[in-house]
Amino acid sequence: MANIFGLLVGIAMGVLIQRVRASSPAMILQNLRLENLIIIKFMATTIAVGMIAVYTLNVFVPDAMHFDIKPTYLVGVALGGLIFGVGFGLGGYCPGTCVVAIGEGRKDAWFALGGGVVGALAFTLVYTTAIEPIIALLDYGKITVQDLVNLPAIVPALVIGALFLVVVKVLPTYVKQA
Amino acid sequence: MPNWASLGIIFGLVGAASIVLFGPIGVSGTYPRLIGEVAQVLNPAYAESNPYLVRMGGLFRPETFLVIGLLIGGFLGARKDSVRAPKVELPHAGTSSNGRRYTEAFLAGFLLLFGARLAGGCTSGLIISGMQQLSIAGFVFAGGVFATGIGTAKFMQAIRVGGN
Repeated sequence: MANIFGLLVGIAMGVLIQRVRASSPAMILQNLRLENLIIIKFMATTIAVGMIAVYTLNVFVPDAMHFDIKPTYLVGVALGGLIFGVGFGLGGYCPGTCVVAIGEGRKDAWFALGGGVVGALAFTLVYTTAIEPIIALLDYGKITVQDLVNLPAIVPALVIGALFLVVVKVLPTYVKQA
Repeated sequence: MPNWASLGIIFGLVGAASIVLFGPIGVSGTYPRLIGEVAQVLNPAYAESNPYLVRMGGLFRPETFLVIGLLIGGFLGARKDSVRAPKVELPHAGTSSNGRRYTEAFLAGFLLLFGARLAGGCTSGLIISGMQQLSIAGFVFAGGVFATGIGTAKFMQAIRVGGN
């Protein structure tokens, strides 16, 4: 049953990513050059609505939640983000949006997918020698904002969620270029 | 309400529904699981001795079906567009050829998956569902991605607009 839910969630995500044009590399690059902020505002809205929704549900039906917090091994997470960002800015795809783009019929997305498979292979091959020492550095485990501020999760969820929505509302969608 | 805002609200609720139904959304782990399944066929001894492949496990799990869903969703979403087969976009100013674009896309894919697996997730697993769960890793990863993402985009514009 969980696999069918996974498929349905994936289909919904695929349609939404395609309709907002997050699977268009040109659109992603316009956002990263800060010419328009459509995708950045879409993502911030998604995060804000999601965090308010899950932690509100968690107040009423905590047993229904399948939370899975990823560990914060600070050096590996930051370095991984920096490497990922270069790929994001160079190609305009993510590991998921290139799959959506293949569904749409974008030919270049196949090259991004192929590069991704080779990248995952390279990672697997060097895991024991190069990666394990990095992810052992500054490993704080599965920490969250609520752990840091020592408050019930609903409090930071509402505060950060509201903050994101205010920033989304205030920021222009199309930025005038100097 | 603008289109991106209503789509963003729906996406946020889909992400929350996922946490109720089976777990947070995530895509990039499917890539090494695919490597693991192929390794099981070609070289089972290696597959069982590599701690990373052992930890990631096999493909029969919701995240894999989610990735298949992305493919179907992309196809369905595109049915609403008037242009059925989108042309290859050259997202950097001054890019001259599709061949150059393919090379860049391949290299980009390599960096995306290497970086995502190092960090333990990608846009879906760390930025979207990670930050939805208020995970510190999600905020750290997002900061790194946008720092070099914006930097790389601006750099590509600077070198190409110069007529190179």
